[in-house]
Amino acid sequence: MTKIIEQFMPTLESSEVAVIDLPDGCSANLPDFTTEAYKDAYSRINAIVIEGEQEAHDNYISIGTLLPDKAEELKKLARMELKHMRGFTACGKNLGVEADMVFAKEFFSGLHGNFQKALSEGHLTTCFLIQAILIEAFAISAYHVYIRVADPFAKKITEGVVQDEYLHLNYGQEWLKANLGHCKEELMKANKENLPLIRSMLDEVSKDASTLHMDREELMEEFMIAYQDSLNEIGLDNREIARMALAAVV
Amino acid sequence: MFGLIGHSTSFDDARRKAMELGYDHIAEGDLDVWCSAPPQLVEDVKIVSPTGKTIEGTYIDSCFVPEMLSRFKTARRKVLNAMELAQKKGINITALGGFTSIIFENFNLLQHRQIRNTTLQWERFTTGNTHTAWVICRQLEINAPLIGIDLSKARVAVVGATGDIGSAVCRWLSQRTGVGELLLVARQQQPLEELQSELGGGRIATLEQAMPEADAVVWVASMPRTLQIDSSIIKNPCLMIDGGYPKNLDTKFDSLGIKVLKGGIVEFFQDIGWNMMQLAEMEKPQRQMFACFAEAMLLEFENCHTNFSWGRNNITLEKMDFIGDASIRHGFSTLNLKSQFQAAAA
Repeated sequence: MTKIIEQFMPTLESSEVAVIDLPDGCSANLPDFTTEAYKDAYSRINAIVIEGEQEAHDNYISIGTLLPDKAEELKKLARMELKHMRGFTACGKNLGVEADMVFAKEFFSGLHGNFQKALSEGHLTTCFLIQAILIEAFAISAYHVYIRVADPFAKKITEGVVQDEYLHLNYGQEWLKANLGHCKEELMKANKENLPLIRSMLDEVSKDASTLHMDREELMEEFMIAYQDSLNEIGLDNREIARMALAAVV
Repeated sequence: MFGLIGHSTSFDDARRKAMELGYDHIAEGDLDVWCSAPPQLVEDVKIVSPTGKTIEGTYIDSCFVPEMLSRFKTARRKVLNAMELAQKKGINITALGGFTSIIFENFNLLQHRQIRNTTLQWERFTTGNTHTAWVICRQLEINAPLIGIDLSKARVAVVGATGDIGSAVCRWLSQRTGVGELLLVARQQQPLEELQSELGGGRIATLEQAMPEADAVVWVASMPRTLQIDSSIIKNPCLMIDGGYPKNLDTKFDSLGIKVLKGGIVEFFQDIGWNMMQLAEMEKPQRQMFACFAEAMLLEFENCHTNFSWGRNNITLEKMDFIGDASIRHGFSTLNLKSQFQAAAA
């Protein structure tokens, strides 16, 4: 009979299921940072992060050319991204890894091209969607996942970056919020074109990320949370967000 | 504001519901997509108590489905992300429904207080177990006499006696209801002995010993799908209160003398303009809900913004009195046999 009771479905009565104890950040969860496999994967992931911060810097400076009266504010934002880039460069050096920047440039080329095209056509909404929503959400979500499995030095650096990201006002988000009335259509269109890129970028790095103990499933979930938060913040309702998110799965 | 964190009873149900709500991107996805789906604020609801007090709340679907139970990290993330969302939305008191509180407790989530830039404040959450325990006790007290069981002479078995809800039910039945004999059934011997000594009575029994002896059985652990109990060994009449999750007792017992009642379910005195209880397969989804959800509403009605039900074995009779009084005052009654709803105060 004991056997029978042990087979009970987990229920509201918590005592009937086993307690599982696996705290985040416990050593069992952390990868071995010294292996060749780790360093090899890190050379690409680290490069993506460095390139991502560089892109963010360049993009904010570029957006400043379309919004001359906000150029100073955007420059400040851009400077912060450069500071982050330097921090992440130090993370690679600390592990003795050389970042594969060629890979990273190629990795961002789709988004980069779309941003440049929108910029040349003066499509500010699309520029902000790519930089302030998609790239920012991609970065912050990856940092959240990374912090849980990073080496102690990189963990500290990344925590500082995340702190910065929460402290500074997301200027693009604010602009989209203020202009939502007349930019919604372009926002939806730009999203449809660019959100699938984020998904394929995640797919492209998932093997390397998993070597760093970052799950693809968790990365995608964190991205969707950050993405949903941003869209919510700029004033879209749950159904509109659901419609936009659809572009990530089809 | 109060909050309810719930989930669908199966992956298929979840997809159907998401489609109805216009969340096509999730509905069309496979289980992997659901594993990556963020929690959703699904519905806002306004509730007016018979006292005239109005409260507002939100239903959050964690996008967890029971099929994820074997994926420890996924299940953990679903619960913590839904709790973070509730807190970020400024909700004062949120009930952890269905598997949410089970995952919280059994996967030891107390140590995961920091979720991104949010430090979870436990005082904003409740398991709802105090109200559930009180409702189950009242269901026994109200319904046993209806089928000819005199509780003062009856043997009542509590299956899952040593857990949070089970031990509270035992305390109430031995000190308030005064049942003929209390049979304590649970998996582990030591907590059973501790409970027996705390209660100053009750007989420890195996499920096999208890079943033919019991006039009423309170299940706060669900039956395993594979378990079959020969109905002919069970007393006639016998009242079975299905207080576990998920509720599957009615498929196990079909004999005429055995009455199965869904335990821990309450009904509000008027329709609530919401859709969410259809998910939980309530008979009257506009009024009926899990008692644990109702606990968040009661705490909001009472401006009692604390983690009222939290941790293990903290449910006292005084707390059950408090939540029971509030339950009656604000228009809830217990689910009773044959869909007859009687005021719990009767």
